[in-house]
Amino acid sequence: MAPSAPPGIGLLKGLGVTIKHLFQRPSTLMYPHERDVLAPRTRGVIALMDENCTVCMLCSRECPDWCIYIESHKETVPPAKEGGRARTRNVLDRFAIDFSLCMYCGICVEVCPFDALWWSPEFEYSEYEMGSLLHEMDKLREWADTVPPPPPLDEGAVLPAEVSDALAKVEKERELAAAKELEAKQAAEAPAETAGDAPKKGKAAEPEIHVKAGEIDQEAFDRLIAEGKSERMARSKAKAAYVKKEKARLLAEAEAAGGDAEAESPAPKAAEVKVDAGEIDQETFDRLIAEGKPERMARAKAKAAYVKKEKARLRAEAESDTGEGTGADEPAEVPSELGASPEAARQALDADGAATDDDAAPEVAAEAATTEAPAARKLGDIHVEGAGEIDQEVFDQLVAEGKSERIARAKAKAAWVKKQKQAKLDEEGGA
Amino acid sequence: MTGHDLVFVAVGLLTAGGAVFTVTSKNLMHAALFFAVTLGGIAGVFLTLAADFLALVQIVVYVGAVAVLFMFGLMLTRAPIGREALDGQNRGLAMAVAGGLFVVLSTLVIGAFGDLPTAEVTGPRIDDLGIAIFADWVLPFEVLSMLLLAALIGAIVLARRESGESGEELTVTRIEMAQDRDPEALEREQAALTSGSGGTGEEHA
Amino acid sequence: MMLLVTSGVAPYLAQAESILDVGDTFIVPLLLKLAFVLGIFFVGPLVAGYLEHKAMGRMQHRRGPVEAGPFGTLQLVADGIKFIQKEDLIPSAADKWVFAMAPGVALVPAMLALLVIPFGPGVFALDLELGLFYVLAASSVSVLGVLMGGWSSANKFSLFGGLRAGGQLIAYELPLILAAIAVAVQAGTLSLVGIVEAQAEFMLFGTGINLWYVIPQLLGFGIFFVAALAELSRPPFDMPIGDSELVFGYMTEYSGIKYAMYMLTEYAGMVTMSALMVVLYLGGWQLLPGVPLPGCEAAGGLFDCGVTGTLLGVGVMLGKILLLVFVMVWLRVAYPRLREDQLQRIAWLVMVPLALLNLALVTIAKVVY
Repeated sequence: MAPSAPPGIGLLKGLGVTIKHLFQRPSTLMYPHERDVLAPRTRGVIALMDENCTVCMLCSRECPDWCIYIESHKETVPPAKEGGRARTRNVLDRFAIDFSLCMYCGICVEVCPFDALWWSPEFEYSEYEMGSLLHEMDKLREWADTVPPPPPLDEGAVLPAEVSDALAKVEKERELAAAKELEAKQAAEAPAETAGDAPKKGKAAEPEIHVKAGEIDQEAFDRLIAEGKSERMARSKAKAAYVKKEKARLLAEAEAAGGDAEAESPAPKAAEVKVDAGEIDQETFDRLIAEGKPERMARAKAKAAYVKKEKARLRAEAESDTGEGTGADEPAEVPSELGASPEAARQALDADGAATDDDAAPEVAAEAATTEAPAARKLGDIHVEGAGEIDQEVFDQLVAEGKSERIARAKAKAAWVKKQKQAKLDEEGGA
Repeated sequence: MTGHDLVFVAVGLLTAGGAVFTVTSKNLMHAALFFAVTLGGIAGVFLTLAADFLALVQIVVYVGAVAVLFMFGLMLTRAPIGREALDGQNRGLAMAVAGGLFVVLSTLVIGAFGDLPTAEVTGPRIDDLGIAIFADWVLPFEVLSMLLLAALIGAIVLARRESGESGEELTVTRIEMAQDRDPEALEREQAALTSGSGGTGEEHA
Repeated sequence: MMLLVTSGVAPYLAQAESILDVGDTFIVPLLLKLAFVLGIFFVGPLVAGYLEHKAMGRMQHRRGPVEAGPFGTLQLVADGIKFIQKEDLIPSAADKWVFAMAPGVALVPAMLALLVIPFGPGVFALDLELGLFYVLAASSVSVLGVLMGGWSSANKFSLFGGLRAGGQLIAYELPLILAAIAVAVQAGTLSLVGIVEAQAEFMLFGTGINLWYVIPQLLGFGIFFVAALAELSRPPFDMPIGDSELVFGYMTEYSGIKYAMYMLTEYAGMVTMSALMVVLYLGGWQLLPGVPLPGCEAAGGLFDCGVTGTLLGVGVMLGKILLLVFVMVWLRVAYPRLREDQLQRIAWLVMVPLALLNLALVTIAKVVY
């Protein structure tokens, strides 16, 4: 009780508050007629990319409500290469989430180590029967098509580790290919023959020039600071300036490497089969629809099938064009996967599956981006033992240049491998 | 037989039936409900005799208050919930007493008023009733009110002494009151209660 | 059913002769009037309920019903249809007969009380000499229905709800009747029509200023209003239902049409009590104190008004009723539920003494002037 106010004032205040609110606008949003703009990362429903699932059961075990049901069996995969050993892998038979039990904590999405579970903003899936809230694998897969792509990285942001690693790898392969090409040309009597026939599908695209992202252009930085910019901004601009410079330098170098380098003309890469999002394989689509699949799923699969076909066709063309081939099986499109949505990742994955034929089917999009990119055919065939070795000379030099130890080690390792391969090639050539 | 007579007979049968069920039903609450029916029937009888005011008083006081109090008391104490029955062993004796009483009373009433001529029913106007009570019968009315007042005071005295004897209950009551009035007093009371001595100890003694 | 007939219908049956006798003095035929009263009984609660939905919603920044019918006006009709469709559940341990009869016992008196209330000049089913007393008697019988429902459900929450209802209705009936008696003393009659007439003629201490009873008896009006809220178990006096404590009090076990009957009782009670307050304190169907309705200046603005005047009078009366219903809703939104001991303390330590004081003041003033 308020000690000072006269009795009854509180009662009148209460009446005043309620009558005031009577004449204010209600804050109701008339939901089915009007819709609120939801946050892009709204947690509406959990989607499953079943291709990514390795049946590790983490989600099922972590689920506080125990509403995730997983069934699987093991399959033996024949060795990928002659003399390799057969591997077993888990094959997902059933993946179901009971949304009548789910409390939308998102722990399953958090713990999934292979990006198989995603949040989708779709929320209108109420049912007349509780049992219908048990979403089986196909339905969960459909939700995956509605997952929005991740937001683009900030300008000048450090790339994710797996992406920068993949880029480094691509660069390394390119160097190797160039070296090998050079070698081949020197060895061959008529180098122009190959160069002339190779389809000129384009130069090295700009993003493929890898520049280490941590570095900044000290000059630009100092200038910007002197101009009174904030340190953060100066740093990011200086970084951008550095990247630009480096790229320019690398391009110039590449061009300076001689007219021969131009002849290299990489064969059509699988990645360059950039299919319009609208294109689908009508045949596949019709078949899937006939099989009773939902339209969305049929469309997605048909799209994947189209990409696969196109890539196969282009590869065949390239091979027939270049005879023995100057590396038809170039690494899969990497840069486009920087901001890949599951959908894009899946397409890339299918493409890779096509490229590597029946080699152990890749399971994870991220892996596809990083590890599946095979070397150029010739060099890829060369097997080098002892991956732990590094080229001490290169390592020392890089450390002396002030690079971080990790980078230095990685580059030194790459240099060692390159050397070894080169040596082997030389041997073969000699033989 | 006029329509008026028919209504009278119907209401009378209803009243009598309610009375019979009141004493024969084995469930206390059913008995109380039939009692309410009986009281309402009596109000109906009054109505057919053109005693509007009396009928309404009968409903307000007996149906609305007495019967409700009966049920209230039964529910507070030992009303069997559901179909559980509660019955005494003295049915025969009770029936004998009731039957005897009925014979004696009806004999007396018929003997005393049976030979009076039947008159046309004309109820009093409410104004006449008021004037009669407060003019001719004001002394009995006031005496009656004194009687009710005495009963009221007696009930309060009984109720107060009972709650006063139980020290624990007294303390609880005081805390409740303190909650509404004075936070400091509440703390004092709680301290006294937890220490188990001091102020409350004296009151126990 | 016997109880029902005795407590409810019998007074009406017994009066039937006299109604037919005086039938020719009514402007509208009797059956039409009964139909009107029944219409009020069934439509009034719907309107009151809609008003409650909407006003309560807006006070809580909601919209209230919007989908059923234009502006959600048919929401309660839809609710009624839903209630009829629902399974009529009776707990296995319940006393089936009492359980089934209880909503009726609560509902019928609420309906009967409307019989004597004048809704306009000459628009009433019955002008009982004891009209006021009749309304109070009818409403006091409703308690029986609540107690029956509370006991027969064989549920402890229902039993507690019934007990609370019994205690509350007994406690607040006293100030209610005392406040009403003060009005009867000032008007000099118990007839509701007579009370409206008396208000039209009442002059404040002989000054010639015509006033309704709400001004001289403001205290009595307040007491009557609060006691009426408590009688109807409306918030902040809804301890018998107390959904946060007792599930739903005496209605816990009820569903379907029986539950609907209890709810109808509550809302019909709101309409009846509001109408009674309008008649007792707010001048009935008069638009303004001392200003006769158009068309019936001849009879002091009270009777023989012609069609326009009659309709206007009914409209004014219904408007005042809705205003009071709105205030009841307003109080429901504004105030939290009282504690049970506070409820009883207010009744016996505040309301009854104040009502007695009011009665004494009115009586003295009546005798002096």
